[in-house]
Amino acid sequence: MSTPVDPRSGRFDAIVKLLQVAMVLTGVCAAIGAFITGPVADAAQLATVGVLLIAPLSRVTWLIGRWFHRGDPKYALVGTGVLAVMLLGTVLSR
Amino acid sequence: MVLGFVAACAGSLGGIGGATLLVPALLVAGFEPSAAAPIGLMVVAAGSLAAAGRQLDEGLVHHRLGLTVELAASVGVVSGALVSTSLPEKLLAGVLALAAAVGAVAALSRKGIRNRPVPSFGEEAVTGEWPGTLGGQYRMGDAIVPYQAIRVPLGMLLSLGAGLVAGLSGVGGGFLKTPAMSEVMHVPAKVAAATSTFTLGLTAATGLLVFAGQGRLELQDGCAAVVGALVGGLAGARFQTRISPTASRQLTGVLLIVVAVVVALRAVLG
Repeated sequence: MSTPVDPRSGRFDAIVKLLQVAMVLTGVCAAIGAFITGPVADAAQLATVGVLLIAPLSRVTWLIGRWFHRGDPKYALVGTGVLAVMLLGTVLSR
Repeated sequence: MVLGFVAACAGSLGGIGGATLLVPALLVAGFEPSAAAPIGLMVVAAGSLAAAGRQLDEGLVHHRLGLTVELAASVGVVSGALVSTSLPEKLLAGVLALAAAVGAVAALSRKGIRNRPVPSFGEEAVTGEWPGTLGGQYRMGDAIVPYQAIRVPLGMLLSLGAGLVAGLSGVGGGFLKTPAMSEVMHVPAKVAAATSTFTLGLTAATGLLVFAGQGRLELQDGCAAVVGALVGGLAGARFQTRISPTASRQLTGVLLIVVAVVVALRAVLG
């Protein structure tokens, strides 16, 4: 008898691919930002920070949408709360 | 960059984040705490990103638990980052050393494995978190180990403290979050380490947003550390799934003792 197929297998494929792309992008931008100078390096440094910020935010946003969609609003609201605190911190720091 | 690699590799193995080791090293190398903190959080974010794909594939990350504790931690990191510019350096170093020592005691104080495999859970059992709960199951060898997080309010309170330390010093706070999840909330060590690594990315992003608003980001140094951290984080995450929970916990404890001693000596000796 063959092993049953995991019904939830592949559920993270999309976000795993996104995170892998983000990781490669971060590595390339960070290497450019660290080892060369000039406007390209400046842009690469900003891009590095940008990707490091966007990647976890995208993951949480994806989870929130998934949980709302699949009837788990309690934890979707918890995730929304985390994003709200991040927004509040950004506003207070200025 | 070399410091970033070594720190991220060792930090991923113990689930404590690379900056726990990197920030003390930067302070010893002569960086000001206000400059070391953003570099530390960039490394934390990169290490979390590097480990994410593999840990998701392994079904080790409990996202609901991670976001629950992160809700408290994010309040702490915002508070810590906002007040860090007005506190003396020795106080910041003292906070970091004390927190590392507490984390070391928590990691080393327990012997054995709390969560045991359940033989009735066969090959058809699905690893990962159970929807709508803070419980789940993970694969340990050929067996399935179920678990359920307990003492959630206390775990959140400790995460608030971890976030505060992260915002004050620029370390991720994983060295507090991981023991809080494993020792206080009774989550298996490997799940706690992976979930902690997930939350560290959010903690770092929150802190970086505040530091950016304060104009404290040192981008070129940060990028050099990130290059090392990405490679180190990948290596650490690969080995994290191969070592036993006990070894993972002991490694965490030893690393934290080293951090506590180095930071305390620097604070005392100036």
